[in-house]
Amino acid sequence: MITLNSRSRYVWAYLMITPTLLGTLIFWGWPVLQSILLGFQRSENFGLVNHWVGLDNYVKLFNDGEFWQNLRNTLTYVVLFVPVTLVLSTLFAVLLNTKIKGLSVYRVIFFLPQVTMPAAAAMVWVVLFAKDFGLINHILGTKVAWLSNPHYAMLVLVIVGVWGAIGLNMLLILAGLQGIPKSLYEAAEIDGAKRFNKFRYITVPMLTPTLFFTSIILLIGATQIFDSIYLIIGKTNVALPAVRSLVYAYYQNTFVYFNPNYGAAIINILLFINIILTGIQFALQKKWVIYD
Amino acid sequence: MQTASARKINSIIHLILIISAIAMLVPFIWMVLTSLKTTTEATQIPIRYFPDTPSLRGYTEAIRQSAFPHYYMNTILTAIMKTVFPVIFSSMAAYAFARLRFPGSSFLFALIISVMMVPNPVFYTPQYMMMSDLGLVNTVTALWITSLISPFATFLLRQFFLGISKELEEASVLDGCNPFQIYWHIMLPLVKSALVAIVIIQLQWAWNELQWPLIINSSPEKMTLSSGIATLVSMFGTDYPVLMAGAFMAVVPMIVLFFIFQKQFIEGIAFSAHKG
Repeated sequence: MITLNSRSRYVWAYLMITPTLLGTLIFWGWPVLQSILLGFQRSENFGLVNHWVGLDNYVKLFNDGEFWQNLRNTLTYVVLFVPVTLVLSTLFAVLLNTKIKGLSVYRVIFFLPQVTMPAAAAMVWVVLFAKDFGLINHILGTKVAWLSNPHYAMLVLVIVGVWGAIGLNMLLILAGLQGIPKSLYEAAEIDGAKRFNKFRYITVPMLTPTLFFTSIILLIGATQIFDSIYLIIGKTNVALPAVRSLVYAYYQNTFVYFNPNYGAAIINILLFINIILTGIQFALQKKWVIYD
Repeated sequence: MQTASARKINSIIHLILIISAIAMLVPFIWMVLTSLKTTTEATQIPIRYFPDTPSLRGYTEAIRQSAFPHYYMNTILTAIMKTVFPVIFSSMAAYAFARLRFPGSSFLFALIISVMMVPNPVFYTPQYMMMSDLGLVNTVTALWITSLISPFATFLLRQFFLGISKELEEASVLDGCNPFQIYWHIMLPLVKSALVAIVIIQLQWAWNELQWPLIINSSPEKMTLSSGIATLVSMFGTDYPVLMAGAFMAVVPMIVLFFIFQKQFIEGIAFSAHKG
């Protein structure tokens, strides 16, 4: 063991964690407390003077039809985006886990959207989904107003989201696949197991820890959807109410309508939802994740 | 017979992968093609795939009529600050948490890690008020000052330090090194590949981030490429070649970086996930 006397070791340890600890407390810890407080207050001049109003902001929020609509939109996005991304990422990871030519080329291509700036990607998606001169309508032979039709706007956001997320998640799942011991498959082959059965009884169970990890990251990310709504749908679009998320509503109320308290109430609800979701996932983890 | 069916399966796999890969690439191809078209060509019906005579007007207009050079400088500076400091601070903290047992270490580590679960927008209003109190709204400083640390990098690097054999540092303790010297001279070189991966991940996050730059800086000279691109829409409306040229110029540096470091990039992420 380390022979340095323990007191001087402690001093070094505390010194080395100080920047990270201080930064965390000042820029994240304190803001979380502030955000919770703001939810119970009414501010003048954007937080300069604060009055305690108890649950007023939340009462107003829960009586606001728009809030429930935004909550529904956020959850709809999560429910569509997370499973589709997981399934497609798993599919591509499984396909790329075979001894196939050009593996690294595919890996790079699928990962490319991950390094692409969302703001820049959004510009091109607007052009691709345009009603009259858009490539998508041209290929499909349709004349759909994808971006301004409330029935399709959410679909566009899910497609863009999945496009951006497949690469990273495929990679995480691929890493998980490559961690499965080959001996398991060899043993199954001796027993005469079919391709599908090997997948069903070896690959899937051994992959559950990776899928769990990936789904948590995806879920937390998905509840925060903002960029693509702001950039692709836009504030004057008639389809906005059909896709407006909690984070978008937070942004709008806080920095467009200058009501930081109402904004804080909205974003605190999301914080609460994320804590619950993570809690549920960790509780369910025991039921379906298999650790060896 | 088996090889025939194996070959059949192989070609089906290739077909699926090729079609999907093309679908993934379409936005990039369309971005470049549109950026080289004239305004009429970009919105012509029936659709035109290629510009008649490729023109760079989109690029010159985007640079001339917007604060593009400012966006670039601000983004580069922000990305450097949001990479160098978090990597230094995180690697130090990660080493301490992985190797030096001290009172409160598991509590303090949990405290730092728990931040990863909080949706980022929760921080934004209070951080905005903080910046406003300090008179930093609409400054380049405000773009990076709130992100000088990274719980994510701390978590990841701790995993790497945990995987390194203890014998190396024991020898240096006998030589009279203090923990900082061990960290600096012995441990850091051992996790070089992880550091490269984290540098690239941090750069990419900083380069692409939209919401905070949008909130904190509204004057064009203080915007990043991300928030700047978002405002190009209001300036150029439906002049799609200019918008695409701006978008292309914004993504090129990260894509070039990705192609140069794609091995470290991909393996860094895959490896750290595997350890986590």
